[in-house]
Amino acid sequence: MPAKISTAEFDNEVLASDLPVLADFYSDSCIPCKRMSPILSKLENEYENKVKLVKINTNFEKELVERYNILAAPTLILFDKGQEVSRLRGAVKKDDITALIDQIL
Amino acid sequence: MYDVIIIGSGPAGLSAAVYAARAGLRFAVIEKEYMGTGQIAYTERVDNYLGYYGTDGFSLGEKFREHAEMLGTEFIECEVTGLSAFSGGWRIETSDGDIIKSKTVIYAAGAAPKKLGIPGEAEFAGRGVSYCALCDGEFFREKNIAVIGGGDTALSDALYLAKMAEKVYVVHRRDSFRANNSLTEKVSECKNVEFVLNAVPVEITGDEAVTGLKVKQNGAERAIEADGIFAAVGSVPNTAILKEIAELDENGYVIADERCITSANGLFAAGDVRTKEVRQVITAAADGANAVVSAEKYLNKYI
Repeated sequence: MPAKISTAEFDNEVLASDLPVLADFYSDSCIPCKRMSPILSKLENEYENKVKLVKINTNFEKELVERYNILAAPTLILFDKGQEVSRLRGAVKKDDITALIDQIL
Repeated sequence: MYDVIIIGSGPAGLSAAVYAARAGLRFAVIEKEYMGTGQIAYTERVDNYLGYYGTDGFSLGEKFREHAEMLGTEFIECEVTGLSAFSGGWRIETSDGDIIKSKTVIYAAGAAPKKLGIPGEAEFAGRGVSYCALCDGEFFREKNIAVIGGGDTALSDALYLAKMAEKVYVVHRRDSFRANNSLTEKVSECKNVEFVLNAVPVEITGDEAVTGLKVKQNGAERAIEADGIFAAVGSVPNTAILKEIAELDENGYVIADERCITSANGLFAAGDVRTKEVRQVITAAADGANAVVSAEKYLNKYI
């Protein structure tokens, strides 16, 4: 399961990461987020040592929500070399995510 | 070859799975949502399902699924892309490119939220336009929100959002609500809720994200400032692939009585896709039972 990270850890864990990072901005009350969680765990295994996955609880990490202007849960943002390269809003299929990841690998 | 393929894993599909398992049929459930339980999962509170007062929809759905899994239900994770009859039964084409054959099909694919169909809706989806108050409400804390619709979903969304928003407008095209009275009363008691009645949404406006909603109220145009637009204008049945196969009514529901028998031989409709008066979890679960009994009779050539 992807590790939960806080605002304080974000720059180091995401922006400074050598590997591309898929960040899952989720919220506690969001059912589609719960549904996405087994898919993200699967992706974490499939892309081991290629892509890092992290999750961010939008109920607490308000600063990141503001910084990235998150308006839907889940929002998935793919970062590469500290830059946002793509974003998916709402519940999506596994193939939609792998398509974006494979573009940058 | 299966005896029954159940399409959909909401309360109707899962109930059908329980009955099919107990009837000793060779069956499987095809679901497009991984570990799905249907629309019920998105309901914050369920107070009218017998034996489970005050539960939430997600937990209730998980119970249903657990029950079906306990009886050994096979789940196939994919979307059904085509359905056609052949002399021995039904051919089901899937998004994985497979073809599954079955003597009968129980179609329980449920419904999806209806779109508003106005300019700006698609453009701002996920950027202020939402169909899930529980998911996205939190992002509009201390902001202005417009909820569109007049049924139970719209009013319970308004009640939930009023707890966090600065102001909630409830925009409805009629002069009174379809939602149950106790709910409407609770919402009207909220000081930060304003009802905008006899008003039809015409456009969602914004730049990077939503900034407002234009409505036509009693014939005159009015602009409402809002950062979030929550649409709750009912649902549409997921029956597009049945158009050429079975008789549908003018709203797209599959015509079938409580036995769930459709106009196509060996095809049964259960849950929200079927023509009925009351679309609730308990009637969906009842359909699952009826559909399996009808399928069994069909397999035994009784109907």
